[in-house]
Amino acid sequence: MSPSVAALTLVAIVLAAALLGVALRRAQGRARRIERSAIAPSDLGIDAGAFGERATLVQFSTEVCARCPQTRRLLADVASTHPGVRHVDVDLTRRLDLARRFRVMQTPTVLVLDGTGEAHARIGGAPRRATVVAELERIGGAHA
Amino acid sequence: MPEQGIDPRGPRFAAGITSVLLLIAAFFAFIGNATARAALTFGWTADQPASGDGLGPSDWWLPRATVAERAADTGFVLVAVAAALFLWGVASPRTAPWGVVFRRFVRPRLSPPAELEDPRPPRFAQGVGLFVTAIGLALHLLGVPLALPIAATAAFVAAFLNAAFGFCLGCQIYLGLQRLGLVGRTA
Repeated sequence: MSPSVAALTLVAIVLAAALLGVALRRAQGRARRIERSAIAPSDLGIDAGAFGERATLVQFSTEVCARCPQTRRLLADVASTHPGVRHVDVDLTRRLDLARRFRVMQTPTVLVLDGTGEAHARIGGAPRRATVVAELERIGGAHA
Repeated sequence: MPEQGIDPRGPRFAAGITSVLLLIAAFFAFIGNATARAALTFGWTADQPASGDGLGPSDWWLPRATVAERAADTGFVLVAVAAALFLWGVASPRTAPWGVVFRRFVRPRLSPPAELEDPRPPRFAQGVGLFVTAIGLALHLLGVPLALPIAATAAFVAAFLNAAFGFCLGCQIYLGLQRLGLVGRTA
């Protein structure tokens, strides 16, 4: 390949990568409505009673997830400032079974459950506080 | 999760340098023998078929070359250097060069980090970089045309996304690899 063709190819690749980066960034942290499904604490391998009475924020993480700690802090803070809302963190690093069962493709993935353990929404990628609170308000878990 | 951690700007700085290195490596991989055609190199002047370039296996130079000839390529050497740096980053992150450069020359000029991060995600990303470049190098030595520039490009894109957008590779591919059985075996 000639140097000029190679250079042009690489310019195109850099531009495509930049567009990809922008698209990925925009797609992160969005909440999606999902088909309701009931989840019990035991499904996640955690103690009964870990769920909140108004809502639960279930976070799926792994050890190689750079964004999970900040999401953990955010959700824990949201839970602490909203009565009846709990935050649960599930480490999928060695739990292929759970990753499969809940069809988790990226981390962090957050499921927003209502007081009965029904999943209402799914957030892929690190969410912003406003997104999380909006989802809580949707299911009535945000009122003091 | 470790309480202590590393300055998150360190891995991004490293990813920035790595991106530039891989871009240069990709350039040389594209113009080197990974894309060379046999007809041009051996001076054939036979007419091309009217149907246009058939990219059959007989058109590439690489499969006909010896291993030593395949390795004697600037792109190959640069990708090998990149692979060696990835290996260093996996085996001994604290001593890996870009991190050292960052800590000694860049960080003193910056304000302290807002928070520290777990070193495992960046280390995983180094492992992915190593894997991709190693595959490219191996396929190239086996005479597979285009493997080297493709691998260099893939590694570049990953490093670039991390450097420019803070993209977390482990966040996106770890679970996919887990499904394929490559990682995450229960202890």
